[in-house]
Amino acid sequence: MNNQEAVFEKLNLVYDPELDKSVLEMQFIEEVNIQVDTVTVVMRLPTFWCSPNFAFIMAEDIRDRLLELEWVNKVLLNLKDHCSSDDINKGVSEGKSFEEVFANLANGNLNEVRNTFRIKSFMSRQEHLLRELMSFGAENEMLSLRIKDLNNHPAITDKKVWKRYLTLRSELGFSNQPEELAFFKSTGEQIDPLKLSEYLLEARRTRMSMEFNANHCLGLLNTRYQPKLAGEGKEIENESCTPTRV
Amino acid sequence: MFKAANGEEIFVIDAHIALWDGSPENQVNQHGEEFISCFYDYHKNLSPSENLWDYEKFRKFTPEDLVNDVIVNGYADMAIFQPVFLTDFYKKPFGDIEENNKLVKKHPGRFISNGSFDPRDGERGLKYLEYLKAKHNVQGVKLYTAEWRGSSKGYKLTDEWTQRYLEKCLELGIKNIHIHKGPTITPLNRDAFDVADVDQAASLNPGLNFIIEHCGLPRLEDFCWIATQEKNVYAGLSVVMPFIHTRPRYFAEIISELLYWLDEDRIIFGSDYAIWEPKWLIEKFINFELPEDIKQETGTDLTMGVKKKILGENIARLYGIDIEKQKEILWNSKKAVR
Repeated sequence: MNNQEAVFEKLNLVYDPELDKSVLEMQFIEEVNIQVDTVTVVMRLPTFWCSPNFAFIMAEDIRDRLLELEWVNKVLLNLKDHCSSDDINKGVSEGKSFEEVFANLANGNLNEVRNTFRIKSFMSRQEHLLRELMSFGAENEMLSLRIKDLNNHPAITDKKVWKRYLTLRSELGFSNQPEELAFFKSTGEQIDPLKLSEYLLEARRTRMSMEFNANHCLGLLNTRYQPKLAGEGKEIENESCTPTRV
Repeated sequence: MFKAANGEEIFVIDAHIALWDGSPENQVNQHGEEFISCFYDYHKNLSPSENLWDYEKFRKFTPEDLVNDVIVNGYADMAIFQPVFLTDFYKKPFGDIEENNKLVKKHPGRFISNGSFDPRDGERGLKYLEYLKAKHNVQGVKLYTAEWRGSSKGYKLTDEWTQRYLEKCLELGIKNIHIHKGPTITPLNRDAFDVADVDQAASLNPGLNFIIEHCGLPRLEDFCWIATQEKNVYAGLSVVMPFIHTRPRYFAEIISELLYWLDEDRIIFGSDYAIWEPKWLIEKFINFELPEDIKQETGTDLTMGVKKKILGENIARLYGIDIEKQKEILWNSKKAVR
Protein backbone atom coordinates (compact mmCIF):
# COMPACT_ATOMS: atom_id res chain seq x y z
CA MET A 1 0.00 0.00 0.00
CA ASN A 2 1.47 3.37 -0.92
CA ASN A 3 1.22 6.43 1.27
CA GLN A 4 -1.74 7.89 -0.51
CA GLU A 5 -3.72 4.68 -0.22
CA ALA A 6 -2.83 4.50 3.45
CA VAL A 7 -4.15 8.02 3.97
CA PHE A 8 -7.44 7.24 2.24
CA GLU A 9 -7.83 4.05 4.22
CA LYS A 10 -7.53 6.09 7.41
CA LEU A 11 -9.90 8.79 6.14
CA ASN A 12 -12.48 6.13 5.46
CA LEU A 13 -12.52 5.42 9.20
CA VAL A 14 -13.50 9.01 10.01
CA TYR A 15 -17.25 9.35 10.34
CA ASP A 16 -19.60 12.26 10.39
CA PRO A 17 -21.04 11.50 13.82
CA GLU A 18 -24.40 12.95 12.97
CA LEU A 19 -24.92 11.10 9.70
CA ASP A 20 -22.98 7.91 10.43
CA LYS A 21 -21.30 8.13 7.03
CA SER A 22 -17.58 8.38 6.42
CA VAL A 23 -16.16 11.69 5.32
CA LEU A 24 -15.25 10.04 2.00
CA GLU A 25 -18.77 8.74 1.41
CA MET A 26 -20.07 12.22 2.15
CA GLN A 27 -17.53 13.74 -0.27
CA PHE A 28 -16.32 16.14 2.41
CA ILE A 29 -12.67 15.68 1.41
CA GLU A 30 -11.74 17.89 -1.50
CA GLU A 31 -8.02 17.33 -1.66
CA VAL A 32 -5.21 15.46 0.04
CA ASN A 33 -1.63 16.57 -0.35
CA ILE A 34 1.34 14.60 0.92
CA GLN A 35 4.74 16.25 1.33
CA VAL A 36 7.21 13.78 2.86
CA ASP A 37 5.91 13.52 6.45
CA THR A 38 3.24 16.22 6.28
CA VAL A 39 -0.31 15.58 5.11
CA THR A 40 -2.59 18.48 4.18
CA VAL A 41 -6.29 17.71 4.03
CA VAL A 42 -8.70 20.13 2.38
CA MET A 43 -12.22 19.66 3.62
CA ARG A 44 -15.53 21.29 2.74
CA LEU A 45 -19.03 20.96 4.23
CA PRO A 46 -22.55 21.42 2.86
CA THR A 47 -23.13 24.87 4.34
CA PHE A 48 -21.22 27.78 5.82
CA TRP A 49 -23.23 27.24 9.01
CA CYS A 50 -22.74 23.52 9.59
CA SER A 51 -22.39 22.85 13.29
CA PRO A 52 -18.87 23.69 14.47
CA ASN A 53 -18.96 20.89 17.03
CA PHE A 54 -19.50 18.18 14.41
CA ALA A 55 -16.99 19.85 12.10
CA PHE A 56 -14.46 19.83 14.91
CA ILE A 57 -15.07 16.17 15.69
CA MET A 58 -14.36 15.21 12.08
CA ALA A 59 -11.33 17.47 11.83
CA GLU A 60 -9.90 16.11 15.07
CA ASP A 61 -10.54 12.52 14.00
CA ILE A 62 -8.83 13.14 10.67
CA ARG A 63 -5.80 14.46 12.47
CA ASP A 64 -5.69 11.64 15.01
CA ARG A 65 -6.26 8.87 12.46
CA LEU A 66 -3.57 10.15 10.11
CA LEU A 67 -1.08 10.53 12.95
CA GLU A 68 -1.51 6.80 13.55
CA LEU A 69 0.51 6.28 10.35
CA GLU A 70 4.11 5.93 11.35
CA TRP A 71 5.54 8.12 8.61
CA VAL A 72 3.14 11.01 9.29
CA ASN A 73 4.60 13.68 11.47
CA LYS A 74 2.25 16.57 10.86
CA VAL A 75 -1.36 16.99 9.71
CA LEU A 76 -2.47 20.35 8.38
CA LEU A 77 -6.21 20.75 8.16
CA ASN A 78 -7.84 23.21 5.81
CA LEU A 79 -11.59 23.41 6.35
CA LYS A 80 -12.87 25.78 3.67
CA ASP A 81 -15.78 28.20 3.56
CA HIS A 82 -17.05 27.64 7.08
CA CYS A 83 -18.07 30.11 9.80
CA SER A 84 -15.48 28.59 12.14
CA SER A 85 -12.80 27.80 9.54
CA ASP A 86 -10.04 29.82 11.17
CA ASP A 87 -10.60 28.52 14.69
CA ILE A 88 -10.93 24.90 13.63
CA ASN A 89 -7.98 24.89 11.22
CA LYS A 90 -5.64 26.57 13.63
CA GLY A 91 -6.79 24.53 16.60
CA VAL A 92 -6.63 21.14 14.92
CA SER A 93 -3.36 21.79 13.12
CA GLU A 94 -1.77 22.93 16.39
CA GLY A 95 -3.08 19.88 18.24
CA LYS A 96 -5.47 21.82 20.48
CA SER A 97 -8.61 20.45 22.07
CA PHE A 98 -12.14 21.62 21.38
CA GLU A 99 -12.36 23.25 24.80
CA GLU A 100 -9.23 25.26 24.16
CA VAL A 101 -10.38 26.41 20.75
CA PHE A 102 -13.92 27.38 21.77
CA ALA A 103 -13.21 28.42 25.33
CA ASN A 104 -15.92 31.10 25.29
CA LEU A 105 -18.66 29.08 23.63
CA ALA A 106 -18.26 25.66 25.21
CA ASN A 107 -18.46 24.45 28.77
CA GLY A 108 -17.05 20.99 28.28
CA ASN A 109 -15.59 18.55 25.81
CA LEU A 110 -17.26 16.72 22.97
CA ASN A 111 -17.51 13.30 24.58
CA GLU A 112 -21.15 13.64 25.48
CA VAL A 113 -22.24 14.55 21.98
CA ARG A 114 -19.98 11.86 20.52
CA ASN A 115 -21.65 9.28 22.70
CA THR A 116 -25.18 10.48 21.94
CA PHE A 117 -24.57 9.97 18.25
CA ARG A 118 -22.77 6.68 18.73
CA ILE A 119 -25.93 5.37 20.35
CA LYS A 120 -28.08 6.69 17.51
CA SER A 121 -25.78 5.07 14.95
CA PHE A 122 -25.79 1.81 16.90
CA MET A 123 -29.61 1.75 16.90
CA SER A 124 -29.84 2.68 13.27
CA ARG A 125 -27.42 -0.03 12.12
CA GLN A 126 -29.02 -2.57 14.41
CA GLU A 127 -32.46 -1.82 13.02
CA HIS A 128 -31.13 -2.37 9.53
CA LEU A 129 -29.67 -5.75 10.46
CA LEU A 130 -32.76 -6.91 12.34
CA ARG A 131 -35.00 -6.04 9.43
CA GLU A 132 -32.78 -7.96 7.07
CA LEU A 133 -33.01 -10.97 9.34
CA MET A 134 -36.78 -10.61 9.50
CA SER A 135 -37.21 -10.51 5.77
CA PHE A 136 -34.95 -13.55 5.58
CA GLY A 137 -37.36 -15.37 7.86
CA ALA A 138 -35.13 -15.46 10.94
CA GLU A 139 -37.44 -13.41 13.14
CA ASN A 140 -37.96 -16.09 15.76
CA GLU A 141 -34.34 -16.78 16.54
CA MET A 142 -32.68 -13.47 15.69
CA LEU A 143 -32.60 -12.11 19.25
CA SER A 144 -30.63 -15.13 20.42
CA LEU A 145 -28.08 -15.05 17.61
CA ARG A 146 -24.44 -14.59 18.59
CA ILE A 147 -21.64 -12.67 16.95
CA LYS A 148 -20.24 -15.84 15.37
CA ASP A 149 -23.66 -16.59 13.78
CA LEU A 150 -23.80 -13.22 12.14
CA ASN A 151 -20.28 -13.05 10.75
CA ASN A 152 -21.31 -15.06 7.72
CA HIS A 153 -25.07 -14.98 7.86
CA PRO A 154 -26.77 -15.17 4.43
CA ALA A 155 -29.41 -12.64 5.50
CA ILE A 156 -26.86 -9.84 5.77
CA THR A 157 -26.48 -8.54 2.25
CA ASP A 158 -24.28 -5.58 3.05
CA LYS A 159 -21.28 -6.61 5.10
CA LYS A 160 -20.29 -2.98 5.62
CA VAL A 161 -23.32 -2.46 7.85
CA TRP A 162 -22.36 -5.42 10.00
CA LYS A 163 -18.75 -4.22 10.22
CA ARG A 164 -19.85 -0.74 11.18
CA TYR A 165 -22.18 -2.21 13.78
CA LEU A 166 -19.30 -4.12 15.33
CA THR A 167 -17.18 -0.98 15.45
CA LEU A 168 -19.98 0.91 17.17
CA ARG A 169 -20.42 -1.93 19.67
CA SER A 170 -16.80 -1.79 20.68
CA GLU A 171 -16.82 2.02 20.82
CA LEU A 172 -19.73 1.75 23.23
CA GLY A 173 -17.69 -0.61 25.35
CA PHE A 174 -19.23 -3.95 24.38
CA SER A 175 -17.22 -7.04 23.58
CA ASN A 176 -17.27 -8.56 20.11
CA GLN A 177 -16.21 -12.05 21.19
CA PRO A 178 -17.79 -14.81 19.04
CA GLU A 179 -20.03 -16.06 21.88
CA GLU A 180 -21.51 -12.63 22.71
CA LEU A 181 -25.14 -11.89 21.87
CA ALA A 182 -25.42 -9.96 18.63
CA PHE A 183 -28.35 -7.76 19.57
CA PHE A 184 -29.22 -5.88 22.73
CA LYS A 185 -30.18 -2.34 23.66
CA SER A 186 -27.55 0.39 23.72
CA THR A 187 -27.71 0.18 27.52
CA GLY A 188 -26.70 -3.49 27.36
CA GLU A 189 -30.16 -4.69 28.42
CA GLN A 190 -31.91 -7.46 26.54
CA ILE A 191 -34.50 -6.60 23.93
CA ASP A 192 -37.88 -7.84 25.11
CA PRO A 193 -39.25 -10.08 22.31
CA LEU A 194 -42.79 -9.02 23.24
CA LYS A 195 -41.90 -5.38 22.71
CA LEU A 196 -39.86 -5.95 19.58
CA SER A 197 -42.12 -4.11 17.14
CA GLU A 198 -42.24 -1.08 19.40
CA TYR A 199 -38.47 -1.18 19.74
CA LEU A 200 -38.03 -1.43 15.99
CA LEU A 201 -40.37 1.49 15.33
CA GLU A 202 -38.31 3.64 17.65
CA ALA A 203 -35.07 2.53 16.02
CA ARG A 204 -36.59 3.11 12.59
CA ARG A 205 -37.20 6.75 13.47
CA THR A 206 -33.56 7.13 14.42
CA ARG A 207 -32.36 5.40 11.26
CA MET A 208 -34.69 7.46 9.11
CA SER A 209 -33.64 10.72 10.66
CA MET A 210 -29.96 9.96 10.08
CA GLU A 211 -30.47 8.80 6.51
CA PHE A 212 -32.64 11.76 5.73
CA ASN A 213 -30.01 14.12 7.07
CA ALA A 214 -27.27 12.41 5.11
CA ASN A 215 -29.20 12.76 1.88
CA HIS A 216 -30.06 16.34 2.63
CA CYS A 217 -26.44 17.19 3.40
CA LEU A 218 -25.14 15.48 0.29
CA GLY A 219 -27.68 17.35 -1.82
CA LEU A 220 -26.62 20.68 -0.35
CA LEU A 221 -22.95 19.83 -0.82
CA ASN A 222 -23.60 19.01 -4.46
CA THR A 223 -25.42 22.27 -4.94
CA ARG A 224 -22.68 24.24 -3.26
CA TYR A 225 -19.70 22.63 -4.98
CA GLN A 226 -21.25 21.34 -8.16
CA PRO A 227 -18.46 22.24 -10.60
CA LYS A 228 -15.87 20.49 -8.46
CA LEU A 229 -17.63 17.20 -8.01
CA ALA A 230 -17.04 14.29 -10.30
CA GLY A 231 -20.14 12.25 -9.51
CA GLU A 232 -22.62 15.05 -9.93
CA GLY A 233 -26.06 14.41 -8.51
CA LYS A 234 -25.02 11.03 -7.26
CA GLU A 235 -27.34 9.72 -4.62
CA ILE A 236 -25.97 8.34 -1.43
CA GLU A 237 -25.81 4.59 -1.22
CA ASN A 238 -29.07 3.39 0.14
CA GLU A 239 -28.65 1.18 3.14
CA SER A 240 -32.23 1.02 4.28
CA CYS A 241 -34.08 -2.20 3.74
CA THR A 242 -36.94 -0.45 2.03
CA PRO A 243 -36.36 1.48 -1.17
CA THR A 244 -35.72 5.15 -0.58
CA ARG A 245 -37.38 6.22 -3.78
CA VAL A 246 -40.95 5.70 -4.83
CA MET B 1 -58.05 27.93 -2.90
CA PHE B 2 -57.17 24.69 -4.54
CA LYS B 3 -59.78 23.07 -6.72
CA ALA B 4 -59.40 19.31 -6.47
CA ALA B 5 -60.08 16.95 -9.37
CA ASN B 6 -63.50 16.15 -7.93
CA GLY B 7 -64.38 19.84 -7.91
CA GLU B 8 -63.94 20.24 -4.19
CA GLU B 9 -62.56 23.61 -3.14
CA ILE B 10 -59.85 23.43 -0.51
CA PHE B 11 -59.03 26.37 1.71
CA VAL B 12 -55.26 26.85 2.00
CA ILE B 13 -53.23 28.74 4.57
CA ASP B 14 -49.49 28.95 4.01
CA ALA B 15 -48.22 29.20 7.57
CA HIS B 16 -44.64 30.07 6.74
CA ILE B 17 -43.72 32.80 4.27
CA ALA B 18 -41.23 35.66 4.27
CA LEU B 19 -40.48 38.85 2.43
CA TRP B 20 -36.77 39.46 2.75
CA ASP B 21 -33.97 41.68 1.62
CA GLY B 22 -30.70 39.79 1.30
CA SER B 23 -29.28 42.09 -1.36
CA PRO B 24 -25.64 43.26 -1.20
CA GLU B 25 -26.90 46.80 -0.43
CA ASN B 26 -28.52 45.50 2.74
CA GLN B 27 -25.67 43.24 3.87
CA VAL B 28 -23.54 44.38 6.79
CA ASN B 29 -20.80 41.81 6.34
CA GLN B 30 -19.79 38.54 4.70
CA HIS B 31 -22.24 36.68 6.92
CA GLY B 32 -25.14 38.42 5.22
CA GLU B 33 -23.98 37.02 1.91
CA GLU B 34 -23.28 33.56 3.38
CA PHE B 35 -26.73 33.43 4.90
CA ILE B 36 -28.70 34.24 1.76
CA SER B 37 -26.40 32.05 -0.31
CA CYS B 38 -27.14 29.12 1.99
CA PHE B 39 -30.89 29.76 1.51
CA TYR B 40 -30.28 29.73 -2.21
CA ASP B 41 -28.53 26.35 -2.00
CA TYR B 42 -31.64 24.99 -0.26
CA HIS B 43 -33.73 26.49 -3.04
CA LYS B 44 -31.57 25.00 -5.80
CA ASN B 45 -31.18 21.63 -4.15
CA LEU B 46 -34.86 20.88 -3.65
CA SER B 47 -36.83 22.83 -6.28
CA PRO B 48 -37.97 21.36 -9.59
CA SER B 49 -35.77 22.85 -12.32
CA GLU B 50 -38.68 24.78 -13.87
CA ASN B 51 -39.19 26.61 -10.57
CA LEU B 52 -35.65 27.86 -10.10
CA TRP B 53 -35.11 31.58 -9.58
CA ASP B 54 -32.00 33.45 -10.52
CA TYR B 55 -29.83 34.50 -7.63
CA GLU B 56 -30.40 38.21 -7.99
CA LYS B 57 -34.16 37.89 -7.73
CA PHE B 58 -33.77 35.42 -4.89
CA ARG B 59 -31.73 37.88 -2.83
CA LYS B 60 -34.35 40.58 -3.17
CA PHE B 61 -37.82 40.25 -4.63
CA THR B 62 -40.77 42.62 -4.58
CA PRO B 63 -43.95 42.53 -2.52
CA GLU B 64 -45.79 42.11 -5.84
CA ASP B 65 -43.77 38.96 -6.58
CA LEU B 66 -44.83 37.60 -3.23
CA VAL B 67 -48.53 38.34 -3.75
CA ASN B 68 -48.40 36.70 -7.17
CA ASP B 69 -46.44 33.63 -6.12
CA VAL B 70 -48.31 32.95 -2.89
CA ILE B 71 -51.87 34.18 -3.37
CA VAL B 72 -52.55 34.63 -7.08
CA ASN B 73 -50.70 31.58 -8.42
CA GLY B 74 -49.86 29.72 -5.23
CA TYR B 75 -53.37 28.60 -4.17
CA ALA B 76 -52.97 30.14 -0.71
CA ASP B 77 -56.06 31.93 0.53
CA MET B 78 -54.09 33.29 3.42
CA ALA B 79 -50.45 33.34 4.47
CA ILE B 80 -48.52 34.03 7.65
CA PHE B 81 -45.31 36.05 7.75
CA GLN B 82 -42.60 34.56 9.94
CA PRO B 83 -39.91 37.23 10.15
CA VAL B 84 -36.29 36.82 11.24
CA PHE B 85 -34.29 39.96 11.86
CA LEU B 86 -30.62 38.92 11.62
CA THR B 87 -29.48 42.42 12.44
CA ASP B 88 -25.87 41.31 12.92
CA PHE B 89 -25.83 40.47 9.20
CA TYR B 90 -28.19 43.00 7.60
CA LYS B 91 -28.68 46.76 7.87
CA LYS B 92 -32.46 46.71 7.76
CA PRO B 93 -33.98 43.55 9.27
CA PHE B 94 -33.77 40.61 6.84
CA GLY B 95 -37.48 40.10 7.44
CA ASP B 96 -39.04 43.43 8.25
CA ILE B 97 -42.28 43.49 10.24
CA GLU B 98 -43.14 47.01 9.06
CA GLU B 99 -42.82 45.95 5.40
CA ASN B 100 -44.93 42.86 6.05
CA ASN B 101 -47.63 45.01 7.57
CA LYS B 102 -47.87 47.12 4.45
CA LEU B 103 -49.05 43.99 2.65
CA VAL B 104 -51.45 43.13 5.47
CA LYS B 105 -53.08 46.54 5.00
CA LYS B 106 -53.03 46.43 1.22
CA HIS B 107 -54.72 43.02 1.00
CA PRO B 108 -57.17 42.75 3.89
CA GLY B 109 -57.83 39.25 5.16
CA ARG B 110 -54.99 37.71 3.20
CA PHE B 111 -51.94 38.05 5.38
CA ILE B 112 -51.13 37.60 9.05
CA SER B 113 -48.03 39.39 10.24
CA ASN B 114 -46.22 37.67 13.07
CA GLY B 115 -43.70 39.34 15.31
CA SER B 116 -40.49 38.07 16.78
CA PHE B 117 -38.58 38.45 20.01
CA ASP B 118 -35.08 37.85 21.23
CA PRO B 119 -34.72 37.29 24.99
CA ARG B 120 -31.26 38.84 24.89
CA ASP B 121 -32.97 42.21 24.42
CA GLY B 122 -34.01 42.17 28.10
CA GLU B 123 -36.56 44.70 29.34
CA ARG B 124 -36.43 46.68 26.10
CA GLY B 125 -37.67 43.64 24.17
CA LEU B 126 -40.63 43.19 26.50
CA LYS B 127 -41.70 46.72 25.64
CA TYR B 128 -41.26 45.90 21.98
CA LEU B 129 -43.67 42.98 22.36
CA GLU B 130 -46.21 45.39 23.85
CA TYR B 131 -45.69 47.65 20.86
CA LEU B 132 -46.17 44.75 18.42
CA LYS B 133 -49.44 43.83 20.08
CA ALA B 134 -50.72 47.40 20.27
CA LYS B 135 -49.64 48.48 16.80
CA HIS B 136 -50.02 45.30 14.75
CA ASN B 137 -52.14 43.05 16.97
CA VAL B 138 -49.75 40.14 16.49
CA GLN B 139 -51.02 36.68 17.40
CA GLY B 140 -47.79 34.85 16.97
CA VAL B 141 -44.03 35.19 17.02
CA LYS B 142 -41.26 33.55 15.10
CA LEU B 143 -38.21 32.65 17.17
CA TYR B 144 -34.84 32.09 15.62
CA THR B 145 -32.79 30.66 18.45
CA ALA B 146 -29.62 30.51 16.35
CA GLU B 147 -29.45 34.24 15.70
CA TRP B 148 -26.00 35.71 16.29
CA ARG B 149 -25.74 38.68 18.58
CA GLY B 150 -22.14 39.84 18.91
CA SER B 151 -20.22 37.11 20.69
CA SER B 152 -23.45 35.26 21.53
CA LYS B 153 -24.30 32.57 18.99
CA GLY B 154 -27.85 31.93 20.06
CA TYR B 155 -30.15 31.35 23.01
CA LYS B 156 -32.20 28.55 24.47
CA LEU B 157 -35.90 28.29 25.16
CA THR B 158 -35.00 27.31 28.70
CA ASP B 159 -33.13 30.55 29.41
CA GLU B 160 -34.67 32.51 32.27
CA TRP B 161 -35.32 35.51 30.05
CA THR B 162 -37.01 33.41 27.37
CA GLN B 163 -39.48 32.22 29.99
CA ARG B 164 -40.21 35.85 30.94
CA TYR B 165 -40.88 36.63 27.30
CA LEU B 166 -43.14 33.61 26.93
CA GLU B 167 -45.11 34.69 29.99
CA LYS B 168 -45.41 38.13 28.47
CA CYS B 169 -46.74 36.57 25.25
CA LEU B 170 -49.42 34.74 27.18
CA GLU B 171 -50.35 37.93 29.02
CA LEU B 172 -50.67 39.83 25.73
CA GLY B 173 -52.57 37.01 23.99
CA ILE B 174 -49.73 36.16 21.60
CA LYS B 175 -50.40 32.44 21.64
CA ASN B 176 -48.53 30.97 18.73
CA ILE B 177 -44.83 30.48 19.15
CA HIS B 178 -43.17 29.36 15.91
CA ILE B 179 -39.70 28.07 16.54
CA HIS B 180 -37.01 27.55 13.98
CA LYS B 181 -34.58 25.16 15.57
CA GLY B 182 -31.26 26.02 14.07
CA PRO B 183 -27.69 25.08 14.80
CA THR B 184 -25.02 26.87 16.76
CA ILE B 185 -26.54 27.07 20.15
CA THR B 186 -24.20 27.29 23.05
CA PRO B 187 -22.78 25.46 24.78
CA LEU B 188 -21.18 24.38 21.57
CA ASN B 189 -20.07 21.04 22.91
CA ARG B 190 -23.68 19.82 23.08
CA ASP B 191 -25.79 18.72 20.15
CA ALA B 192 -26.34 21.99 18.36
CA PHE B 193 -29.75 20.95 17.02
CA ASP B 194 -31.02 19.64 20.29
CA VAL B 195 -34.81 20.05 20.48
CA ALA B 196 -34.98 19.13 24.16
CA ASP B 197 -35.54 22.71 25.32
CA VAL B 198 -38.87 22.70 23.48
CA ASP B 199 -40.01 20.05 25.94
CA GLN B 200 -39.49 22.20 28.99
CA ALA B 201 -40.85 25.37 27.40
CA ALA B 202 -43.99 23.57 26.23
CA SER B 203 -44.74 21.99 29.58
CA LEU B 204 -44.08 25.21 31.49
CA ASN B 205 -46.38 27.16 29.17
CA PRO B 206 -49.49 25.06 28.53
CA GLY B 207 -51.42 28.14 27.40
CA LEU B 208 -49.17 28.64 24.38
CA ASN B 209 -48.88 26.67 21.15
CA PHE B 210 -45.40 25.70 19.99
CA ILE B 211 -45.10 25.17 16.28
CA ILE B 212 -41.74 23.60 15.56
CA GLU B 213 -40.73 24.49 12.03
CA HIS B 214 -39.07 21.73 9.99
CA CYS B 215 -40.68 19.40 12.59
CA GLY B 216 -37.45 19.25 14.47
CA LEU B 217 -35.32 18.04 11.58
CA PRO B 218 -32.55 17.03 11.75
CA ARG B 219 -33.72 15.62 15.09
CA LEU B 220 -37.01 14.16 13.95
CA GLU B 221 -36.88 11.25 16.38
CA ASP B 222 -36.37 13.50 19.39
CA PHE B 223 -39.05 15.85 18.17
CA CYS B 224 -41.61 13.04 17.80
CA TRP B 225 -40.82 11.88 21.29
CA ILE B 226 -41.40 15.36 22.73
CA ALA B 227 -44.52 15.98 20.69
CA THR B 228 -46.17 12.82 21.98
CA GLN B 229 -45.67 14.04 25.56
CA GLU B 230 -46.61 17.68 25.01
CA LYS B 231 -49.98 18.20 23.38
CA ASN B 232 -49.32 21.89 22.69
CA VAL B 233 -46.45 21.06 20.32
CA TYR B 234 -47.11 21.14 16.58
CA ALA B 235 -45.09 20.10 13.53
CA GLY B 236 -44.51 22.80 10.92
CA LEU B 237 -43.77 21.27 7.52
CA SER B 238 -41.56 24.04 6.18
CA VAL B 239 -38.38 22.55 4.65
CA VAL B 240 -39.96 19.09 4.82
CA MET B 241 -42.49 19.80 2.06
CA PRO B 242 -40.07 20.13 -0.89
CA PHE B 243 -38.75 16.61 -0.30
CA ILE B 244 -42.03 15.54 -1.89
CA HIS B 245 -40.29 16.30 -5.18
CA THR B 246 -36.68 15.14 -4.69
CA ARG B 247 -37.17 12.34 -2.15
CA PRO B 248 -40.82 11.31 -2.15
CA ARG B 249 -40.07 8.14 -0.22
CA TYR B 250 -38.51 10.08 2.64
CA PHE B 251 -41.35 12.53 2.55
CA ALA B 252 -43.78 9.66 2.91
CA GLU B 253 -41.81 8.19 5.80
CA ILE B 254 -41.68 11.49 7.64
CA ILE B 255 -45.37 12.26 7.16
CA SER B 256 -46.29 8.77 8.32
CA GLU B 257 -44.10 9.15 11.41
CA LEU B 258 -45.75 12.46 12.22
CA LEU B 259 -49.22 11.03 11.70
CA TYR B 260 -48.32 8.09 13.89
CA TRP B 261 -46.78 10.02 16.79
CA LEU B 262 -48.62 13.35 16.68
CA ASP B 263 -51.94 12.65 14.94
CA GLU B 264 -53.41 14.57 12.02
CA ASP B 265 -54.49 17.65 14.00
CA ARG B 266 -51.00 18.86 14.79
CA ILE B 267 -49.31 18.99 11.41
CA ILE B 268 -49.15 22.33 9.61
CA PHE B 269 -48.33 23.28 6.04
CA GLY B 270 -45.77 25.98 5.32
CA SER B 271 -43.94 26.58 2.04
CA ASP B 272 -41.08 28.60 3.49
CA TYR B 273 -41.59 31.00 0.61
CA ALA B 274 -39.45 32.40 -1.01
CA ILE B 275 -37.16 29.40 -0.61
CA TRP B 276 -39.91 27.38 -2.26
CA GLU B 277 -43.12 28.41 -4.00
CA PRO B 278 -46.38 27.07 -2.60
CA LYS B 279 -47.80 26.37 -6.07
CA TRP B 280 -45.80 23.27 -6.91
CA LEU B 281 -45.68 22.08 -3.31
CA ILE B 282 -49.46 22.12 -3.02
CA GLU B 283 -50.03 20.51 -6.42
CA LYS B 284 -47.73 17.65 -5.53
CA PHE B 285 -49.08 17.32 -2.01
CA ILE B 286 -52.70 17.03 -3.13
CA ASN B 287 -51.73 14.23 -5.53
CA PHE B 288 -49.45 12.45 -3.11
CA GLU B 289 -50.29 9.07 -1.64
CA LEU B 290 -48.42 7.07 0.96
CA PRO B 291 -46.86 3.88 -0.42
CA GLU B 292 -48.71 0.76 0.65
CA ASP B 293 -45.90 -0.69 2.82
CA ILE B 294 -45.61 2.51 4.84
CA LYS B 295 -49.37 2.63 5.35
CA GLN B 296 -49.29 -0.90 6.65
CA GLU B 297 -46.33 -0.55 8.92
CA THR B 298 -47.44 2.65 10.61
CA GLY B 299 -51.18 2.20 10.22
CA THR B 300 -51.48 5.76 8.94
CA ASP B 301 -52.94 7.24 5.78
CA LEU B 302 -52.77 10.60 4.08
CA THR B 303 -56.37 10.93 2.98
CA MET B 304 -57.91 14.03 1.42
CA GLY B 305 -59.44 14.81 4.81
CA VAL B 306 -56.02 14.72 6.44
CA LYS B 307 -54.54 16.85 3.66
CA LYS B 308 -57.22 19.50 4.21
CA LYS B 309 -56.37 19.64 7.88
CA ILE B 310 -52.67 20.02 7.13
CA LEU B 311 -53.22 22.63 4.41
CA GLY B 312 -55.42 24.94 6.44
CA GLU B 313 -57.78 23.64 9.10
CA ASN B 314 -55.15 23.00 11.76
CA ILE B 315 -53.48 26.39 11.60
CA ALA B 316 -56.88 28.12 11.26
CA ARG B 317 -57.78 26.73 14.67
CA LEU B 318 -54.61 28.17 16.23
CA TYR B 319 -55.21 31.61 14.76
CA GLY B 320 -58.96 31.68 15.39
CA ILE B 321 -59.82 31.74 11.71
CA ASP B 322 -63.36 30.63 10.85
CA ILE B 323 -62.74 29.05 7.47
CA GLU B 324 -66.36 29.22 6.31
CA LYS B 325 -66.62 32.90 7.15
CA GLN B 326 -63.24 33.61 5.65
CA LYS B 327 -64.23 31.85 2.43
CA GLU B 328 -67.24 34.11 2.15
CA ILE B 329 -65.19 37.22 2.72
CA LEU B 330 -62.32 36.30 0.41
CA TRP B 331 -63.93 34.30 -2.32
CA ASN B 332 -66.84 36.68 -2.76
CA SER B 333 -65.01 39.93 -2.34
CA LYS B 334 -64.28 41.82 -5.52
CA LYS B 335 -61.52 43.70 -3.80
CA ALA B 336 -59.66 40.51 -3.04
CA VAL B 337 -56.60 39.70 -5.08
CA ARG B 338 -57.97 36.68 -6.81
